Parts: sequence; C-alpha cells; structure tokens
Amino acid sequence: MTWLKLVEGYMPMQMISELAICILFFAAINFSLKKAGIGIPKFWAGVGVWIFILMYLKYRIYPPIPFSVRAIYGTVSACGIFMWVSGSQPEWEDFKRPILNVMDGKTGFHKAIRVVALVLIPLALGGYAYQSFLPSFEEPIELRTVHPAPPATTKVHGKTFVLQTAENPYRVNPEGEYDQKYTDAHIVSQDMGRLMKDFASNEDNPWDPNAEGYIKYVREGGEIFFQNCHFCHGDNLNGRGLWAYAFNPIPANFTDAGTIAQLQETFVFWRVSQGGIGLPPEGFPWASVMPPWKEHLTTDEIWKVVMFEYWHTGYYPRTWE
Amino acid sequence: MGHLLTRLTRRHKKFTAMAALFAMCGLLLLPIFLALPALAGGGAPAAGGPPPDVAAEQEAAKGEGEEEKVEMGRDVYYKIEGPAVGMPAPKTEDNETYYPRYNFESRVLLWVANQQHLYYGSFVLAVPIFCMCIEFAGMVSKDRAMAKKYDQLAYDFIKISLTAYSLTAILGGILIFTFLTLYPAFFGYLSSIFRPVMHIYALLFVAESGTLYIYYYGWDKMKEGLMKWIHLSMCVILNVIGTVLMFLANSWIGFMMSPAGVDEQGRYLGNIWHVVHTALWNPLNVHRILGNMAFGGGVVAAYAAYRFLSAKNDEERAHYDWMGYIAMSLGVAFLIPLPFAGYWLMREVYAYRQQMGITLMGGLLAWLFIIQATMIGILFLTTNYYLWQALGRMTGAERFQRYIKYLVFILVVGLLVFITPHTIVMTPAELKAMGGQQHPVLGNYGVMSAKNGGINAIIMTTILSFIWYQRGNKIPAVKWAKFGNIFMGCFFVIAQLNNVWLACYGYFIPANVRIGLSVPQVAGTLSCLFLMTPLNLAMLKGAKQLGPIRWGQIQPRSQYALIMLATAFTWMMGLMGYIRSSVRLFWHVNEVMRDNSPWAYTHTIGFAANVISFNVLFFWITIMFVFWLGALGMKKAPIPAAEPVPGTPAPQPATGH
Repeated sequence: MTWLKLVEGYMPMQMISELAICILFFAAINFSLKKAGIGIPKFWAGVGVWIFILMYLKYRIYPPIPFSVRAIYGTVSACGIFMWVSGSQPEWEDFKRPILNVMDGKTGFHKAIRVVALVLIPLALGGYAYQSFLPSFEEPIELRTVHPAPPATTKVHGKTFVLQTAENPYRVNPEGEYDQKYTDAHIVSQDMGRLMKDFASNEDNPWDPNAEGYIKYVREGGEIFFQNCHFCHGDNLNGRGLWAYAFNPIPANFTDAGTIAQLQETFVFWRVSQGGIGLPPEGFPWASVMPPWKEHLTTDEIWKVVMFEYWHTGYYPRTWE
Repeated sequence: MGHLLTRLTRRHKKFTAMAALFAMCGLLLLPIFLALPALAGGGAPAAGGPPPDVAAEQEAAKGEGEEEKVEMGRDVYYKIEGPAVGMPAPKTEDNETYYPRYNFESRVLLWVANQQHLYYGSFVLAVPIFCMCIEFAGMVSKDRAMAKKYDQLAYDFIKISLTAYSLTAILGGILIFTFLTLYPAFFGYLSSIFRPVMHIYALLFVAESGTLYIYYYGWDKMKEGLMKWIHLSMCVILNVIGTVLMFLANSWIGFMMSPAGVDEQGRYLGNIWHVVHTALWNPLNVHRILGNMAFGGGVVAAYAAYRFLSAKNDEERAHYDWMGYIAMSLGVAFLIPLPFAGYWLMREVYAYRQQMGITLMGGLLAWLFIIQATMIGILFLTTNYYLWQALGRMTGAERFQRYIKYLVFILVVGLLVFITPHTIVMTPAELKAMGGQQHPVLGNYGVMSAKNGGINAIIMTTILSFIWYQRGNKIPAVKWAKFGNIFMGCFFVIAQLNNVWLACYGYFIPANVRIGLSVPQVAGTLSCLFLMTPLNLAMLKGAKQLGPIRWGQIQPRSQYALIMLATAFTWMMGLMGYIRSSVRLFWHVNEVMRDNSPWAYTHTIGFAANVISFNVLFFWITIMFVFWLGALGMKKAPIPAAEPVPGTPAPQPATGH
C-alpha cells in the first residue's frame, strides 16, 4: 500500500499512530454495534484484530518487513489479544463460547463445523508438513552481524591505533585542539526528508573557500568521499550509489539511525581502513566488498572522510563521557 | 514479694537471653572483624598453586638474586604503579596439565554447576530480605490477626529458604571441586589474587549460617516484645552478611570481566581493594541484588501458586492466593528498577571497553539480548495480567476491566519496540527486497532511544495496573478525590508523553546526551511509582468499600501466570549469566589471562538456549523437591480465619494491599 506515504523522518511514530487510530476505530465500531444490540462476539473480535495486524504489517509497511520480524510481531500481538480477551472472566467466557459450542456440537450447524474442522485441521497440518519437506532452492537465512565488535587496536600505515582512546586529529576547535563539543555544535542540521537545513552562519559552510579549521577539513573529507566512496554509498550517503544494487547487501546507509550514529568514530575508522576483508570472524559471512581503504588513502584522508560522513548525516559520533 | 521475685526472675531471664544473643552475634561476626585488617592492609602477597612453567620461572628468579629490588608494574585499569608482588597469569596450553578433562566439554560442566549454585544462592539471599519485610509488617500491624498471618508467612518463607540453604552450600562445594579439577591453573591464579577475600568469604558464610539458624530456631522463643525486635535485628544482620557475601563473589566475576589491581602480565600489585573494586563491580552489585530479589519473589510466588492449585479447601486456597500476591508484589517491586540498573551496567561496560559493549549489544551476542528483551516483556506482561485477573476477586473492579484493552495496546506496542532486533534475521531475497541491512521504519525501533521509550511505557502501564488494583473494591471518599483523580490522570498522560517525546528526541542529539536522556525518562517513570502510589493510598484513606477481597476466588490462570513469571525469571537469569560470562570471548581474565582450552569459542545460540533450558529445568525439579520438603514438615494448616464479627463481611486473609 504505497499510495499512502510513510513520511521519512516520521515513519516509526506514523506506524504506531496508524495502528492506534485503527484500534480506536474498531473499538468505536464495536461500541456502537453493542449499543444497537448487535455487538461483535469476542472470539471474532479477537481473531479479526489479529488478522488486521498481520495484514497491516504485511501490506501496509514498505519496504516489506522480513518474515522473522513479522513472526515476532504476530506472536506478541496474539499474546496481547489473549490477554485482552481473557482479562476478565465474563469476556473470557464470551471468547470461549463459540469454541466450546463447536467442540460440544451444540447444534447441527456446530456439529457440521466440528466435522469440517476435524477433517481440515489434520489435512492442513499434513499439507504444512509436506510443504516443509519439499526441497527449497531459496538461499539460506543469514544471521549477519552488522556491527561486529572491533579489535582493541588497528594498524594503519605502520601506526597502531587504540580504538578505545584514539581521536580524530581533525576534529578540532579554532585553537587546533581536539574538541568534540565544538565540532558537534558546527554539524549540519537535517530537515524533514533528510534535507540539509541552511547553515547558521557562513562559518559553518564547507563550500566557503575561506573556511578554516574543522569546516575546511570537512570539505576535504567531502572531496575524498565524492572521489572514492559515493559510487557505492551514494551522494546523499544513504547507501544508494550508482553501483549500490550490484551488491547484496547494498552498501551501508549512513543516514539510518542504526549505522554510524551508533558507533564511535574510531569504529568507523577501523572499518573504512580495513574494509570487508578486515572483518573479524564474528562478522561472518563477511558480506562486504568494501576495499581496505588503507591501501588507497592516507591515514589523514581516512580520518577526514569519516568526519565528513558524520557532518553530512547530521549525526554525532558516539562518546561515553 | 513472690510476685516481685517472679518479675525479677523473668527480667533476669530476658536480660540473660539478650546478653547471650548479643554475645553469639558478636562471636559470629568476630572472624569478619579479625579479617578486616587483611583487607585494609591490602592482603598478603599472592600465592597459590602455580602451574609448572610459572613455578620454574619463579624459582629461577629467586636464584638470580634475592636482594633485588621489587619490580614495579602498572595497573591495567587504575594506571598507577605498584610493586609486582604476585606471579604473572599462567600462560596455559591445550593439554591435560592445564585443562584436565573428562570425555565431555568441561565448560558446560562448570556452567551447569555455576548456574545451579547461583540460582540457589540468589534464592537464599533474597528470601531473608522478604522475611525481614514481612516480619516487620507483622510487627507494626495493629490488627493482631493480620500480624499473626504476616508472622506465619515470614516463617513459611524462611523454612523454604533453610532447605535451599543447605543445597546452596552443597552446590558451592560442587562448583569449587569442578573448578579445581577441570580448571586448576585458572582457579589457582584467581585464588592467588583473591586469597584474603576468599577467606573472608568463607568466614562470612559461617557467620551467615549461624545467624540463619538462630533466626529460624529462635522464632518461637523470641516472639514477644523486645525479643521480637531482637529477632528482627538478627534478620537484618543476616541480610547484611548475605549482601556482603554476594558483593565479594561479584568481585571475582568483576575481575574476570574488567581486571584491575594487576599489571599487563596479571601480576598482583599489592592493593586488594583495587582488585575488588573493578570497573564493573558496583554496577554488577546493584544489578544482582535487584535481580536476586525479583527472582526470589518469583520463586516464592510460584510456590504459592503450586500450593493454590493443589489446595484441598477454600481456606488453603485463600491463604496461598494471598501468599502469591505478596510474593509477586515484592518481586515486581524489585523488577521495576531492574532495567535501569541494567542500563547502568551496560553503560559502564561500554565505557570500560567499546569492544565489549558492541559484542554484547550490536555484535555476536546481540540476538541473545533480543531474547532477553522478550523475557523482560513477558515478565511485565505477566505481572499486568495477574493484576487484571486479581481484579476479578473484588466487587466493583468491573469498572476498570473494560479499559484493559487500552493497556494491552500500550503494553504490546511498547514490547514490540523493545524487542525489535537491530540485526534482522532474513533471507538474502528479503534483504534485497528491503533494499539494505536496515529497515527504514523498523530500523528506528532497533536502537536504544526507542527501546528506552518502549520499556518505560511498559513500566508506567504496570504501575497504572497496580493503582487500579489498589482501587479495585474502593471508591475514594476524600474531599479532594475529584481533583486527585484529575491530577493523577494528567500526571500519567504527561509522563507517557514525556517518555515518547524523549524517545523521539534521542535521535537528534549526540549519543552521550542521549544516554543522559534516560534520566528524565526514568525520573518520569519512578515519579509515577513513588508519587502516584502514595497519592493513591492517601486518596483511599477512609474510602468507600464496595465489597471484600474474595481471597482464593481468583481464576486458576492467574496462578499459571505466576508460574510463568517465575520460569521467565529463571530462564532470564540463566541467559544473562551466560551472556555476561561469554562476553569475555577467549579470555579467562579479560586481556590478562587467555583461555587456551578447546572450548574457548562462543556457543551457537541454539546450544546455549538448550543448556539454559536444562539449567532451568534442573533447578525447578530440585526446587520442587525443596517445596515438597517444606510441605512435609508443615505441622499445622494455615492460620484459620478470625472469628467473624456479626454484621461484617466474611473474614479474609488480608484486607490491605
């Protein structure tokens, strides 16, 4: 259902709000029907809400949600619905009634359903068993570790960097000292749809030829990025570069809150410098074709490009103090 | 005259009894006071059973010149110099000398022994704390019938704990033998570092046993007046000793995860406090004490549920319904702050080693954290479910039951956000269809900012359920009831909005500030707990009673919920223990002593889950035995209900909450 847009930047809350509105809507309908004396039986209300949630997750949210997550969501929703329908004894009795009626074969109609169910349920289970035994040609599921733990140190151009303590030498204030707060304050802001906001002052504009210090290094990092990285990671750093779809998985989307925003700058420095072949064993199945950039860039260039990535996405590298 | 003499004799008896008790307490605690200088003085130079190569090196060093100056080493954590008085950590190899073995994985044997000891240790540390609270509640209760019931309940609790205590000691012995026989080099090194601490630990154990026995066997002798207060004080002493015991044991695992007080080679630098007070010691202490309490409450609640379901008459059912409710409430009271203690621990882990934090939360063990989040969700959802079921035994509670569906919605959404994985399991085809590793909608739920919001929403809803439960059969009659209701409603709405707003805002600020945001989020949640619950109680003073609490008339599915609660606690403890231990990867002592055994790899999730399940099953089988023993020794049935007063409702085991 792509005609009803999920608005970038608001999508997570939009999904929850939509679900809440729908549930309230159902509650209002049920309330009105009850007032009119034709309330929906609890059993069908519960089953209906559950099917609605499954359908919503499958057809409303795009890109499609992987099955494993839908299975988790479906199970939790089913538990929630059970808690609702059995929250009080009268409601639980109401919920159980159609099931017990069928099992007891109270009327001819119920008996017929019981017979159909007794035939259909084993058949369905048999069909499921048969299907699961059929040979599948699908690639197997991968439990890929997106952010494998980094080593304690990494060696680039003969120099050893301790990832816990290393600092980006270009993340500096006008006095030339390492200053995370200063550089955070001069980061670009992102507006709706991840569009850059105007700069607060010319001092923050990396395209200004007179820019000095941190902002100048950001520009230099940008030059390196657009000479080397944007073919894969995209000119908006969202992993949708020209060559991106030649790879599976496609390159990392830096604008996603789950990538560089979650990491220390030294982690990104390690990943960029060592590339896909430098992934540790827990990075199995090592599904990354990123070259080890230490073979192509100087240490300073790597630091600058990392800094540019943070600047451009508007994210701050992770720090602990 | 005779009367005076009798009184004097009675006083004299009391005085003698008190003096004897104090003397006994003093004697029990004497070893600890004697041992304290050893701690303060930094203990003696480390020694222990060195492996052959280290012993040879040491001998060689001795031979070279005994008058040589003591070599200095630099503390790996505190970064200060100290005399390297200990031996270096043994450099082990994969052979029978360092790792003697059966034809089975030694690590799994140790894992099972350790886990069982921990389960029982947690249980016997938690139950006396409950006893203390319940006994105190009984002592200050003005209602004599209630006081008696509380006293009986506390006694029932400690009786279960007593059998479990012996099992804890036995399992502790098994654990030490397992260590000594399967990991001698590692255990030798650890005990060489912690020698004075281990001795104090053993002495404390003696003191705890003595205190526990006096507390239990002195129950009937010390049931009146001042003696009762002395009895309660013994429980306080018992709990203090128990807590210190746990803190000392925590220092060993803290050292293994984040060593301090040794140099890079693992040589002890002479300051035992540094070895004990490692980067993760305090967060571990806080997390474990809360976890133990929640676990203990869960196990006792499960015991009560088991007795409820097997009860033969209404009286028993009423008693065990009440017992289950009290145990569950105590457990949940400690469950609520537990996630916050967990956040602190993880923050300290990241601050200690980014690498360790990522291995836990974003890397190798990330999926286990999703399972943990699911278990936490189960705990809170089950608690809510139990409270809603408990509304069913109150007249007038129907007015709240119709709103359950809205609470379910908040709980389910909070849980879905809380358990959304950051690393999604998917087929390559799904990955392609998704267009990248991160889902643009769900990816946002996979990070900490959203998860903080999710869990806080769940906890706030649980508090609201509890407030509803307190109000179940009452209508506030205070003059300001309307204002109080509006204020309370607004408070909850604003706290939830604040929580959601901060969860969203967290995406737009640096990570270190974002971590700080959890403070106002938690403050909102805790305000709901610590301000709204007392406010509710104040509003319920002199409230109009709609009917009694019909103890024992709760639906059986509520009792299954209690059993599920306890099982989830047990499983989660096993899981978190495994995660905490396996985050060291191939180190016995992180970055100091390498694990060179053939089992220095991380298990698959499936295998780990199977061992955890085995541990859970084993614990429940043995604890059922303990419960059975408890029931076997029970001479009398639960205290019979008080005589009904004409014109009042039928007597109930408890009228308060």
